[in-house]
Amino acid sequence: MIRYLLAFFALTLPAAAFAQSDVTLTSEMFVERTVPQANGTAKTVLEKPDSVPPGAKLVFVLSYRNQGSAPAANFSVTNPIPAGVAFESAVDGGSEVSVNGGTNWGSLGTARVRNPDGTTRAARPDEVTHVRWVLKSPIAVGGQGKLSFTGTVK
Amino acid sequence: MIETSGIIDGGRRVIPLAAMGLAFGLASPAIAAGTLAGTKISNTANATYTDPAGNPVTIPSNTVDLRVDELLNVTVASADPGDVAGQPGATNQVLSFNVTNTGNGAEAFRLTPITAIGGDAFDPNATSLVIDSNGNGVYDAGTDTVYAAGSNDPVLAPDTGVKVFVLSTIPAGATDGQRGQLDLTATAVTGSGAPGTSFAGQGTGGGDAVVGSTSASARDKGFYIVNAATVAFVKSATVADPFGGTRSVPGSIVTYRLVATVSGSGSLANLGLADPIPASTTYVPATITSEGAPLSDATDADAGEFAANRIAVRFGTVAGGQSRTVTFQVKIN
Repeated sequence: MIRYLLAFFALTLPAAAFAQSDVTLTSEMFVERTVPQANGTAKTVLEKPDSVPPGAKLVFVLSYRNQGSAPAANFSVTNPIPAGVAFESAVDGGSEVSVNGGTNWGSLGTARVRNPDGTTRAARPDEVTHVRWVLKSPIAVGGQGKLSFTGTVK
Repeated sequence: MIETSGIIDGGRRVIPLAAMGLAFGLASPAIAAGTLAGTKISNTANATYTDPAGNPVTIPSNTVDLRVDELLNVTVASADPGDVAGQPGATNQVLSFNVTNTGNGAEAFRLTPITAIGGDAFDPNATSLVIDSNGNGVYDAGTDTVYAAGSNDPVLAPDTGVKVFVLSTIPAGATDGQRGQLDLTATAVTGSGAPGTSFAGQGTGGGDAVVGSTSASARDKGFYIVNAATVAFVKSATVADPFGGTRSVPGSIVTYRLVATVSGSGSLANLGLADPIPASTTYVPATITSEGAPLSDATDADAGEFAANRIAVRFGTVAGGQSRTVTFQVKIN
């Protein structure tokens, strides 16, 4: 009987006592292709092939959704740039990047890279190692959104 | 396939954090050929947030993978510093080319010599292609591997190359100074064509093979130049009679002058001449000169002799444009 009660409590206690925030994050990788149209214009399409040649433009899309019963505060998403990909830009201009493995963050315009001779220069986009987004306000219950950045296959 | 309609942020603006300031990354070396064919690109993001109880939560996204296709690219470049000189009819005259895989996957390349090219004076006869299998950059007969199209097409790793020798016979009818062109083409065995042409599933590493900017086929020029030389002999005689005149009478001394003139852009090896002593005359001992210098009559170390009733002089190798002069004397019996 005691054992039964404990089990009952264990099942019901979280739901009964606390509201939950339960956020899911989904990653997708698209390849951007320009398809010439019959009327002479070009249409840009996103495809999901199994493989891509070097030089292909990739669009990374991160979708988040709070499917819990409470807001999720201080939400941030960090995406290490995968090996074999050169970062190009984040579609959302408010993102931050790191060029040293996630130790320091800021806008790409302020990032510096040290040359072998000790001097420094502005970092190139392909030297970005991580990109992240930090949301100002909590994700409401049922709230969702998409974050995106582009890169090319090295 | 979906159409782009712009990727929309969730409406929550991003908090700018402290400026990056002096944050240094390390410059990493670039790979010319690009990411290796078959490499898996895997993307995973992480999200963190604070739950209602104030506890930090970290969640990973799913991981999505993409395989890198093979890009088919190749270059061919002549490795000779200039025209390769050969004599008419000469065999196994060697042109050198460097074939480089500028793609991102290991690839076999078909090699083809082309000799029927307009604008040159003759067509070299390409007799064999040889792979520099010992990698020393020099054609080694009997050591380097003879190429047979389709059976030992060289397989090159990305960003690596091999030297290819083309052995040709110069046509016997070619004349001094003529040039003959020979091109070498290298074509990816997987396929070639317009850049962007794709061969599904045929890429090294399991992806597609995609023709790159070089069309997966490359060609460069090599040239042979005919380097021939010919020799002409001119013989003249001056007579001194015993009476101070120039009549040919018994006792007159005849001085023969032999001039060998080499012409052409080549040179002649082991050039020499021999001249029998005319009938009714007797050789005057110790009168052989070559280029004005006396030579002994004995068959010895110097470059001439009188033997078997004739004089002989050897000049070694003489280049086009040079001449050699020999004199000797006989006495009319």
